[in-house]
Amino acid sequence: MSEAPDLTETEAFAAEHALGVLSSAERRKAELRMAREPEFAALVEAWRQRLAPMTDQLAPVQPPYSVWAAVLKALPANDNASGLGLRFWRGATAAATTLAAASIALAVFVGARPPVIVQPPAPGQLLDASLVSQSGAPVPLFVAAYDPVRKALIVTSLVTSNTDPAHVHELWVIPSDGKPRPLGIIKPGTTQAMPMPEKYLPSLAEGSALAVSLEPPGGSPKVDAPTGPITAVGKLAKI
Amino acid sequence: MMSRVASGERAALRQLYEATSAKLFAVCLRILSDREEAEDVLQEVYVTIWRRADRFDAARASVMTWVSTIARNRSIDRLRARGPLAYADQVEELEIPDGQIGAEALLEAKGEEGRLHNCLSELDDRTQKVIRTAFFEGVTYDALARRMGTPLGTVKSWVRRGLAKLKGCLER
Repeated sequence: MSEAPDLTETEAFAAEHALGVLSSAERRKAELRMAREPEFAALVEAWRQRLAPMTDQLAPVQPPYSVWAAVLKALPANDNASGLGLRFWRGATAAATTLAAASIALAVFVGARPPVIVQPPAPGQLLDASLVSQSGAPVPLFVAAYDPVRKALIVTSLVTSNTDPAHVHELWVIPSDGKPRPLGIIKPGTTQAMPMPEKYLPSLAEGSALAVSLEPPGGSPKVDAPTGPITAVGKLAKI
Repeated sequence: MMSRVASGERAALRQLYEATSAKLFAVCLRILSDREEAEDVLQEVYVTIWRRADRFDAARASVMTWVSTIARNRSIDRLRARGPLAYADQVEELEIPDGQIGAEALLEAKGEEGRLHNCLSELDDRTQKVIRTAFFEGVTYDALARRMGTPLGTVKSWVRRGLAKLKGCLER
């Protein structure tokens, strides 16, 4: 290789920062310079861009689904994820009883909201849902993900403490037929993998709603319907 | 896409996740060599992307470079948090088998990736290894010098010469 000219001290420092060889103290110095000197920041970015193709030689590795669930859980609730309310619950039930035979796609109209297209289940599809509260601010209270490989629903309760020991959180799935199926009790503040019985697998499709109701210990006395108030609702969507 | 992430659209973040997570997970795994930690860091990476999306400057970096840099930095932070021994102690591991590109990759090497690899391969073996090790392990000059039993100043001049040659080669 022909001799290349030496880098200037500033550029060498920028390149070293991009490469990652600087000690913690020098790294902080470089970060500060990036914040203060746009020219220096541009040099660092240019070096990052030059070196980035090194990662291209790494073969992609699919991360497990739980990572995305954890990302969702960690996001602040400042977006538009709160489109579902109790009205959805009722609306979906009402609409579904009249359209129970719909097999390809079912549009559910909820008030003035745009139609929601409910897709038929795709086999082996990873799904997730963020269940937001039904009163006050639309805060996610539960995060659920369906893992078709394990045939399990991984549910995380973001409710930190059980403030109300007289009640439990029961999870339901409401597929396009509008009939709630009980999936189990969610313990506050935990992540649990709930194995799904074969008969419920067709219910776990994109567009199905998940809901949590407040029930007496042991769960709803009725097997086919919640008896307590719905505290959180969300819809399953493809990852 | 990044502006949609910046404005708080989860669907946009999910799209970005779908498009980049396998690549970024590979980066985290390569640096941390620990699946559980890599998963943990990968989650942090996307939360960081979500929070910092408004700082992404398309004029300065590509999305892929930007997100990979976050993945690499986060992984390196985690690696360093294990303590100095974690990355200073692996004297025999300077040999990086997956750092060498196979014949297949060489045949396919093209564009930016191919150019960088060709330019790296023009460096002497030692410099190449030092640069790859630094890149993938976040190994500081100090740790590199200890690993190799070479004075810090010498390692530093190898790296700086190597980087100058790389730049010269990439600009040819």
